[in-house]
Amino acid sequence: MMGMVLRRAASSCLSVFILVTLVFFMAHLTPGGPAYSILGQKATLASVAQVNARLGLDQPLLKQYGIWWWHLAQGQLGYSYLLNRPVSALLWGYERNTLIFYSIAIFLSTVLAILLGLIQGVYFNRWQAKLIGAFQLGFYAAPPFFVAAMLVLWFSVQAGWLPASGITNLRAEHPSLGAYAAHLVLPVITVTLLTVSPLSRYFGEAVHEELGKDYVRTAQAKGVGFTRILLAHVLRNALRPLVTMLGLSFPYIFTGGVIVESVFNYPGLGWLMWRSALSQDYPVLIAIVLVIGLLTVIGNLLADIVNGLLDPRASYE
Amino acid sequence: MSPVLEIRNLNVALPRGGAGKVSVLDHFSLTVAPGEMLCLVGESGSGKTIAALSIMRLLPPGAELTGEIRLGGQDLAQASEAEMRRVRGKRIGMVFQNTLAALNPTQTVAAQVGEAWRVHEGGSARAARARALELLGEVGIPTPAARLDDYPHQFSGGQRQRVMIALALACSPQLLIADEPTTGLDPLVATQIMALIARLRRERNMAVLFVTHDLSVVRDHADAIHVLYAGRSVEWGPAKNFFIQPRHPYSEALLGAVPRLGTARLQTIPGALPEPETRPPGCRFAPRCGYVQPNCWPDYPPSSCAGDTETACLYPLGTTTHQAEASAAPPSGRSFPLQLEARSLTVRYSNRLALSDVSFSLGRGECLGIVGASGSGKSSLGRAILQMQPYGGQVMLNGQDFSVLRGAAKRDARRRLQVVFQDPRESMNPRMRVSEVIAEPLALQGENDTTARVAELLTSVGLSPDMATRLPATLSGGQAQRVAIARALAANPELIVLDEPTSALDVSTQAMLLNLLKDLAAQHGLSYLLISHDFAVVSYMADRIAVLKEGQIVELAETAKLIANPGDDYTASLIGAARP
Repeated sequence: MMGMVLRRAASSCLSVFILVTLVFFMAHLTPGGPAYSILGQKATLASVAQVNARLGLDQPLLKQYGIWWWHLAQGQLGYSYLLNRPVSALLWGYERNTLIFYSIAIFLSTVLAILLGLIQGVYFNRWQAKLIGAFQLGFYAAPPFFVAAMLVLWFSVQAGWLPASGITNLRAEHPSLGAYAAHLVLPVITVTLLTVSPLSRYFGEAVHEELGKDYVRTAQAKGVGFTRILLAHVLRNALRPLVTMLGLSFPYIFTGGVIVESVFNYPGLGWLMWRSALSQDYPVLIAIVLVIGLLTVIGNLLADIVNGLLDPRASYE
Repeated sequence: MSPVLEIRNLNVALPRGGAGKVSVLDHFSLTVAPGEMLCLVGESGSGKTIAALSIMRLLPPGAELTGEIRLGGQDLAQASEAEMRRVRGKRIGMVFQNTLAALNPTQTVAAQVGEAWRVHEGGSARAARARALELLGEVGIPTPAARLDDYPHQFSGGQRQRVMIALALACSPQLLIADEPTTGLDPLVATQIMALIARLRRERNMAVLFVTHDLSVVRDHADAIHVLYAGRSVEWGPAKNFFIQPRHPYSEALLGAVPRLGTARLQTIPGALPEPETRPPGCRFAPRCGYVQPNCWPDYPPSSCAGDTETACLYPLGTTTHQAEASAAPPSGRSFPLQLEARSLTVRYSNRLALSDVSFSLGRGECLGIVGASGSGKSSLGRAILQMQPYGGQVMLNGQDFSVLRGAAKRDARRRLQVVFQDPRESMNPRMRVSEVIAEPLALQGENDTTARVAELLTSVGLSPDMATRLPATLSGGQAQRVAIARALAANPELIVLDEPTSALDVSTQAMLLNLLKDLAAQHGLSYLLISHDFAVVSYMADRIAVLKEGQIVELAETAKLIANPGDDYTASLIGAARP
């Protein structure tokens, strides 16, 4: 088990290295360069050269690449000229909001996916499964902004139960936990609804497949009841593909999150990314791409480790 | 003594496609006494597994079951699901084949064996664990205490089957149903498993219903035999009489199809098992029977009794022996011009040596058998010869070393080596039709019009040219293996590597295929490298036999000499397991 974790961790490090390198060179491919975004499109060549020299952009590319690593190692992610703050300090608040938001959403969609998937797997091809399937297809096909807008329309505008946007009530000096939670409800429901569809569909298929396997028949022949077969035998075996899928769907969840956070004005990484893209704040954008990439790599590593715990064969040598 | 199990007039119909049900088992009756081992024998499609699952009421959903299944005083055919749960595992234990799939891969063996006990007896987790330990010891797992927390994949095939038996015995059932427990195991291991079941039933006075297609494994242990063909019983009675004098022509044919040491020619049964939808109204074996008479056709024959044996045949066989005469093994001492030579072959996987320093030669037209248990390196040997994996040493075809060949010369040399794999359906692209499968090597040789050649090849392996449009999934195991042979022949090879070509097949199908391979070798002057764990099969085919153990050849000699004078204990034990 430890050997497997170490190997996966090593390959994750390689992924991070490739990610950091790609982000660096892609940033250098963008036309114009940072000087123009600082000085504006009408800047003179001389002032551009001056800014470039100050930023170190006149250095050889490989040297810049080395500096980039050196700064990253120190936790420096650059400086946002538009917001006039170091990026690393800027990111932290947004990152925390995003982590809270997604942890809850991913937890809820996993639990819901397991429940729905179990029903779907057990009632495969029967009306119960088909009903769930119809909802899955609907939410899978629905664009995130549409689902978000509809929820706001029903629960905030018409019913007035929940706040429509932001993170706290406007005039509150020290926001209460309750107010914070209330602001989280709609974004979390939106992301959960969008994420649960592919997850539960996949898990339902896995449950159905596992139920047809020989070891289920062996358990029946032992006299084990159906509920116990489902929970003690099938669940753990069917969870493996779900965990893999969950690990792989991290980027998808984040990109969906950009839209959801923007619609709800929720100050998370997605919202910041959208704002920075509009205002061409490259240092912030690059940092967000890095952070999201890093979270995806960590997500996959976690999925591998959980799978290793679920299935003894995965770590067997 | 009252029987443990009494089945009377059991009929089972399974849903087929969209419309209606099709009957798969008719008028099935059988009795098992305490401590008796009854062997239910039949080939795929005979209904033997359906019969076993009916007793446990584990038939697929939609199955229709009528008749009586009496266990003690209770009729299981009428029992509710809740009542059945108290019978399963408690009064009837069941052992399945393919234990890698039949055991839960993510639970420890202690949990799985303990669960079988705990479901019925209650008790603490600690008590269940103690019971599991006791059972694993009883079925002969070495150092059971150290293996309680291991998972199924950490055991060898034979040990997994022992775990499976421990699981079935957890609540000391009156009846053990064993569904092909030795299929897929090496013959030596299969012999050990049979001995274990025999010992357990003696010690526990437990009735055993042993379901199998392989008569050779039950010969030593069966008390009674019940032969099924196409969903109906054809012969049932004491095992002793059965092996001396089978009464039904099908029983006789089945016995004749089992390869034994010294068999000159296997008997084969012409034709194929009828599908459940197209079973003849009369005797179901009539279309394939060598003794068929006109009045066999209209009605199913009533059973007649001779001694203790009953036979559903109008013309049961008499007392004269029809068994294949044991004649000498293939004439030894034939000399073959050298064709293939392997010099110090070595195959290494990341952490172990699969094959070390193996050398042998193979003559033109010769069949060299490679025998060994699972993990002996025999498949690695085949793949190395076929240039399908990196190896050390040299493979010389017609005096030319493969490692110095390049480009077209190498491709041409590889064409001369063809292969037939164990699982014919798995080894064909499921989306390619039979004609495309066979035509692919032809196209590689630049032949454009392949239709005539495909038809010719199909005919030469005993298939109808109409088969050309079929997909692999619609073929039976035997048909698919014939297609695989036709595909190998299409490349116009000199040598075919046969990697366990018949171990997934029924005995009667195996007999037909082995005979076909022999005939093809004679017609085309082919050489074979036959890889198998079944010594009897190899001895039937091979001119010389190499015994492989732990990656090394322990013995290589002419077949007859090897059988007469095994020079190694391991060889002797292999021969012992193959001897009737």
